[in-house]
Amino acid sequence: MSDNVVKFKGNGTGLIMLLDQNTPYPKLEAAIKARLAENAKSFPAGTVIKTSPNGFGQKAQAAMMAIFDEYSLKLEFSDEALVRNAPAARSEHRAHRDMPAGRDERVEEMLVINRTVRGGEEISSKSSVLICGNVNPGAQIIAGGSIDIRGTCRGVVHAGAFGDTEAFVIADNLMPVQIRIADLIARSPDNMEKRDKAERAFIKDGQIVIESIER
Amino acid sequence: MSQVIVVTSGKGGVGKTTTTANIGVGLAMRGKSVVLIDTDTGLRNLDLLLGLENRIMYDLVDVTEGRVPYKKALVRHKKFETLFLLPTSQVKDKSSINPAQLIVLCNELRKEYDYIIIDCPAGIEQGFQTAIAAADTALVVTMPEISAVRDADKIIGELGRADKDNIKLIVNRIRPQMVEKGDMLDMNDINDILSISCIGQVPDDEMVVTATNKGEPVIVSGSSLAGKAYTNIVGRICGEEIPFMEFPKEGFFARLKRAFGM
Ligand SMILES: Nc1ncnc2c1ncn2[C@@H]1O[C@H](COP(=O)(O)OP(=O)(O)OP(=O)(O)O)[C@@H](O)[C@H]1O
Ligand SMILES: [Mg+2]
Repeated sequence: MSDNVVKFKGNGTGLIMLLDQNTPYPKLEAAIKARLAENAKSFPAGTVIKTSPNGFGQKAQAAMMAIFDEYSLKLEFSDEALVRNAPAARSEHRAHRDMPAGRDERVEEMLVINRTVRGGEEISSKSSVLICGNVNPGAQIIAGGSIDIRGTCRGVVHAGAFGDTEAFVIADNLMPVQIRIADLIARSPDNMEKRDKAERAFIKDGQIVIESIER
Repeated sequence: MSQVIVVTSGKGGVGKTTTTANIGVGLAMRGKSVVLIDTDTGLRNLDLLLGLENRIMYDLVDVTEGRVPYKKALVRHKKFETLFLLPTSQVKDKSSINPAQLIVLCNELRKEYDYIIIDCPAGIEQGFQTAIAAADTALVVTMPEISAVRDADKIIGELGRADKDNIKLIVNRIRPQMVEKGDMLDMNDINDILSISCIGQVPDDEMVVTATNKGEPVIVSGSSLAGKAYTNIVGRICGEEIPFMEFPKEGFFARLKRAFGM
């Protein structure tokens, strides 16, 4: 039930919590608690989640922030959360990524990490993953969907980990030790130069290929 | 406002204890009151670097287990009167103190001393978790080589998970000639990966070893390159803006010698 009242979504820049407008506050609070109890583990500590102020009073805002704080997550109230989720913004998102319209559903849920992922860390998610930071050597990102890294990728990345051959990996500097997409593996050349252009890795004719992209 | 600083690294042998001793002495030379806590239980050697081994009566475990008040266990430095060492036990193991005990102790020490500096054991196990528990600031020591930088990266991740957000980097044992030839990581390579602010670049300097053997950290004489680098770190810890020093490049003669394989 709480699934319809409280939703987490990724947009281009971060993670957003959408709340049902018609649910009264005490019920909303219970629903948030229930959702976090289920899902908080999939968000790394320190993740910032934005939500629209939606006319909440200061007391309600403080109470909600405290709930997130218990899971070491940060809740921010921002009008941005409302605007960015407008349908127009989403279709732009889709166009940008060259996705056929029918696949829209899949990008809806996205895990967003707003920091550098360091060696020894593993991020795994059933959804797509957006990382606003670097992925360092020794770090591992595993996503059911695609992986987008707004930074340098030197770790191991596995997109489409449950068999999605349409999944891809994008990074500002794509220099991972290994790229895996679905059940294919590509390893990096033994001496890798630093790239100065964003690149995308995807499957073409049964092979992982890399092409540079504009963004 | 007193500060609790932990000196940590991940990889062993990169210079944590050397850094702790030098920064401690440097702060005391500026008149600050300082307690150095050795938490590398079972492998203690901070006392050796400070030349205080023969003065140890009690240790950290005696204090955390309540056998003696901390004042009784503190060893005052013979030359710098505001510098104290809280030595660790030579015989017990790293599990003999827990994070809560160290937090309680540091809160006591904060009332009386300006700086409390904790020398951390290598690794990311229990001993590390205990050592960082009480700290406001973490100094991560690394060397310009890939394995040390990767371990530093892991440590920075661990510190982040422990909610330590004031983390500073010290790069130790830099060899300018090797960096110049491209045989050693340079600061750009290191910053590229670690992306935290750096407060120290210390050259590889045999005076460090000489000083260690004398039981007097290299910062005391102040004339060596490493000594100067540590003096600068101390200044930066005290909030001063000090530019990083240029290391002298290999001289013409040395290069000539190398060219002729001498
Ligand atoms: N800048 C330097 N130049 C030359 N030698 C150095 C320098 N820094 C440290 N050393 C030497 O490196 C060795 C290891 O240093 P130190 O004991 O401080 O490392 P550590 O990180 O505390 O080690 P451990 O992990 O075992 O506790 C010592 O022999 C020390 O003298
Ligand atoms: Mg040591």
